[in-house]
Amino acid sequence: MTIIKKRLSEGLTVTQKVFVRSRNGGATKVVREHYLRNDIPCLSRACDECNEIVVPDAVNELPRFVLSETPLSLKGVGKHYVVVDTNVALQAIDLLENPKCFFDVIVPQIVLEEVRNKSYPVYTRLRTLCRDSDDVKRFIVFHNEFNEATFVDRQKDESINDRNDRAIRKTVAWYSEHLKEHGITVILVTNDRLNREVALKEGLVAKSLPGYVDLLPNCDELKDSIPNMDSSVNIDEDQEARSEFNFPEYYTTSRIMGGLKNGSLYQGVIQISEYNFLEGSISLPNFSKPVLVVGQKNLNRAFNGDLVVVELLAKSEWKAPSSVTLDSEHYNVNENPDDDSGGGAQDSSSVIISDKQRRLLIQDAIQAQKTKKIQPTARIVAITRRSWRPYVGQIASSSVDLQNGRTQNVFVILMDKCLPKIRIRTRRAKELLNKRIVVSLDSWPATYRYPLGHFVRELGEIESAQAETESLLLEHDVEYRPFSKKVLECLPSEGHDWKAPVDLQDADAIAKDPLLAKRRDMRDKLICSIDPPGCVDIDDALHAKKLINGNWEVGVHIADVTHFVKPNTALDAEGASRATSVYLVDKRIDMLPMLLGTDLCSLKASVDRFAFSVIWELDNDANIVSVEFTKSVIRSREAFSYEQAQLRIDDPNQNDELTLGMRALLQLSKKLKQKRLDAGALNLASPEVKVHMDSETSDPSEVEIKKLLSTNSLVEEFMLLANISVARKIYDSFPQTAMLRRHAAPPSTNFESLNEMLQVRKNMSISLESSKALADSLDRCVDSDDVYFNTLVRIMSTRCMMAAQYFYSGAYSYSDFRHYGLAVDIYTHFTSPIRRYCDIIAHRQLAAAIGYESLDLSHRDKQKMEIICRNINKRHRNAQFAGRASIEYHVGQVMRNNESIETGYVIKVFNNGIAVLVPKFGVEGLILAENLTTDFQTLDFVEEEFKLSFRDKSGSSREIRVFDKIKIHVKSILDPITNKRKAQLLLK
Amino acid sequence: MSSLEIYSPEGIRIDGRRWNELRRFDYSINTHPNAADGSSYLEQGNNKIITLVKGPQEPNLRSQVNSNKGTLTVTVNITKFSDIERSQAGHRNERRTLELQTALVRTFEKNIMLQLYSRTVIDIQIHVIQKDGGLLGAMINGITLALIDAGIAMYDYISGVSVGLYDTTPLLDLNALEENALSSVTLAVVGKSEKLSLLLVEDKVPLDRLESVMAIGIAGSHRIRDLMDKELRLHGKRRVENTSTN
Repeated sequence: MTIIKKRLSEGLTVTQKVFVRSRNGGATKVVREHYLRNDIPCLSRACDECNEIVVPDAVNELPRFVLSETPLSLKGVGKHYVVVDTNVALQAIDLLENPKCFFDVIVPQIVLEEVRNKSYPVYTRLRTLCRDSDDVKRFIVFHNEFNEATFVDRQKDESINDRNDRAIRKTVAWYSEHLKEHGITVILVTNDRLNREVALKEGLVAKSLPGYVDLLPNCDELKDSIPNMDSSVNIDEDQEARSEFNFPEYYTTSRIMGGLKNGSLYQGVIQISEYNFLEGSISLPNFSKPVLVVGQKNLNRAFNGDLVVVELLAKSEWKAPSSVTLDSEHYNVNENPDDDSGGGAQDSSSVIISDKQRRLLIQDAIQAQKTKKIQPTARIVAITRRSWRPYVGQIASSSVDLQNGRTQNVFVILMDKCLPKIRIRTRRAKELLNKRIVVSLDSWPATYRYPLGHFVRELGEIESAQAETESLLLEHDVEYRPFSKKVLECLPSEGHDWKAPVDLQDADAIAKDPLLAKRRDMRDKLICSIDPPGCVDIDDALHAKKLINGNWEVGVHIADVTHFVKPNTALDAEGASRATSVYLVDKRIDMLPMLLGTDLCSLKASVDRFAFSVIWELDNDANIVSVEFTKSVIRSREAFSYEQAQLRIDDPNQNDELTLGMRALLQLSKKLKQKRLDAGALNLASPEVKVHMDSETSDPSEVEIKKLLSTNSLVEEFMLLANISVARKIYDSFPQTAMLRRHAAPPSTNFESLNEMLQVRKNMSISLESSKALADSLDRCVDSDDVYFNTLVRIMSTRCMMAAQYFYSGAYSYSDFRHYGLAVDIYTHFTSPIRRYCDIIAHRQLAAAIGYESLDLSHRDKQKMEIICRNINKRHRNAQFAGRASIEYHVGQVMRNNESIETGYVIKVFNNGIAVLVPKFGVEGLILAENLTTDFQTLDFVEEEFKLSFRDKSGSSREIRVFDKIKIHVKSILDPITNKRKAQLLLK
Repeated sequence: MSSLEIYSPEGIRIDGRRWNELRRFDYSINTHPNAADGSSYLEQGNNKIITLVKGPQEPNLRSQVNSNKGTLTVTVNITKFSDIERSQAGHRNERRTLELQTALVRTFEKNIMLQLYSRTVIDIQIHVIQKDGGLLGAMINGITLALIDAGIAMYDYISGVSVGLYDTTPLLDLNALEENALSSVTLAVVGKSEKLSLLLVEDKVPLDRLESVMAIGIAGSHRIRDLMDKELRLHGKRRVENTSTN
């Protein structure tokens, strides 16, 4: 069909965009209008024509011209701008972001659109580059599709990719012509050879990515960061590396669409087992138990967390989850990265498993049949969405040829042991040995056993505190860079000198802050705060006062962070994206800048601070008579640590009003706690420990199990009460978008294996009827010989629980709001706005609910709340993991200096080892069969009894069952292959 | 997450327009001189609409007889093939269509000098051949043109347009893609005044943004009025010339 162009006015033409879209198996022709214009500027400072044509936008701002008039000059090319194509943007986004190369880059709109369709994260990064790179990187987006001069029609029989390539070339041609008189060349960087040839024929300058990097003056340091693609440059060198080894090819899109629709294929997120990297499971809605994916071929190049499509295997191949442990680091350690397919001697049927692994698998299969606990298995036939991100790892020393100074292939072992190693090409292998490095993944062709990636940057020596901290922050995706200038500009200009107004009625102060008049002056109340020792970000304080009618007035005062963090500012955006502060052993990554967190918002003693107060009237049994919310000004009388508060309360000589108030609070909190426990609140345990740092050397010096004082629970109870009261209030005012937190009841399948172990070994069981029943049954799990047993069961039950999550009230029905662990029907987080973003939203919603100020739109919009909730859930989880990883690392450092014999508990028995928890250090580790015995023949695993019997090294036979208390020799070793320090546990 | 940028940071919309630009606006009147007393064919973007006006004529039903003023009826026929995918069921008795009809009757009742046409009925039929967002606005424009063609006495032009809100930027004259992604408002303006004869807000629009949204909507309606006015005057001139030569 012919497409008509119609001139509408000077500089505006309309045409039609016609394409065929297939949806639900049918084809639909779509016709859309497409306007072509001549007012799209080139955005080069050298150009003087484009200044004439620009038009202002809706807020009357003109576009800024970004591209430099004196761009980098190259040998043989001269001053140049760069145009990138889609594949370069997708594969080399790290290189584009590198501050040492790629300046003055033009991203054609068509490239941006293609990138957006292929990978949204890369699109966001590219957009961020264009937005933030003003004077350093100078990236722009050029809307070639809407520019009259650069628009191209799709020709007959031309594929869409060819048409897009032509559009990019046309853009390059237009720019070259446009900037010719200013002596600026435009280089097209593309890895597509055909595209380059056509471009050269058309008289354009085109380079491949390696070709372009070669031209740069600092090419040597950049070369390693060039993505490792199977196709382009290194084909010859890799030729010999290919062997018969092949992963099954993925199914075509149409087959997948059809399969998903008719129910023969399923889609889900794969979770790789943390004990066995060759086993994954996928939870599918139609199956009660997860579906297993076992073995390298069935996993078919999936990464932990990928969204995959699976096909069920025949019933004969169904099996139980393996009871073997296997980690990627020590699997096929001696493979040669150049010889890609691993040990070549194996025959084709057994390529995926070495002999040793195979033996274990057979044992496993027998086991499965014996116990009849078989689960359906499946194989992966396509990967819908990759979860790839930059990974931290280190080069496997065994894969490096130290004699070789040239570029070589080496393996990188990742920190995350659920992931396979990555093959990269580098010239600096020798230099990078024993360093933590960041790598990016490029591709995983079917002919390669390991994915291909490239080096991004180095973090530093292994075991140096800085590199380890940085790598664990990176690994958990925690933003740790300092706050940007834009963010800091949002802080009050007075800085540390900011003061709350002395008189709330003062006309000047009200003129500055009209909401001041709505604040209540509570500086006369005897308020104090109780926090861990050394706490600087104090976000809560309390007071209690006896009323004339015999009831108590109790106030919880929370730092008024939202007074400083206003919606739609850069500061708010930064807080929303960080979502939580991250606490590491030796470092704190703040959600908000220091000035707010540790000074202006922090409710320090004897200074006036703004607060958001919840005031209850409680009767003597701690029942709520009434509740009231108000913004306020307070002055904390004293900032206690838990111990100081405890001492003050316990000291009979202190009888001033503040102490009396604290005692009342303690009494009330005990009643509140009892009520909560009666309602079925759970008392769970975690093996968490606290690491003390030596104050001088800042080396970790000792490990302590966290202990609780009654003042801890004093603060906790009132925070819970405040959170619940606030949750009710904001749900009342915003039934659709209130920010809440829920905790689902655990499905009974989660407790199956624990219950079975308890049943067999101790003749106990955990009831799941209600949270009350669960709490009671946990109380009954007591072993009179061993006090720790109860804690152990609590720790193991905690792992069977669901994770609590943030959500907006429109997402679930009221009955699903329940917080299972706390046994309340509705809950939110309100009490720590300095370190959690959820609380900031709760503050804003509460402020709106009491008519203090109007609520920002983004907190009234379900879609926006959905995005916010998803982000804070993710960040919250990551922060927890990062915190735990930090403790784990530091515990390792402590153990390094003290080898010792400790008590351990067996928490799981495998057929080739046992998992042991050592409460003293809070570490958990595996003892593999080879460390238990020398004689594998005597190894006997009875799965029904959770028993492993063997003849130990001294020759006497031993039996180990789950829940056994055993003596463990604990020491910290540096794994020679992975360079990871971990606790090695040996049976004593 | 839409796969397209609704409004890029460079200030360009999905189809290449800027925030305050109207879509293509083409029309002709007196397209069906034998079938109706007044008719128009309107293309606003990819909306294609035929409007027929019959009357003033004798009512078929006794209930339509009003001795004080004429009766206005509007029938909207959204064809099955008007959307991207052919719909199985017709749209005739859908709630949505009935609502559109009511909105149109209410808009024009006040603008037509119905007191001149007592005991008669003016019947408006709208056929939507193709739709692409902002349908109500386009129908209002189509009716205005057809009424003028039929020579029915009106106080002034009524021109309508839809306006959406992307974050804080108002976008004029939405197409179907934008309409699905944004909350929008349709308004109709009487002549060159700032009097609104219709304001339809079906999505949530924040109160503090409504003013800027309406401002750009009114400006857009005025531009449509001018476009209609210019063409109509040309058309009238041509007709006068034709009759005088005969």
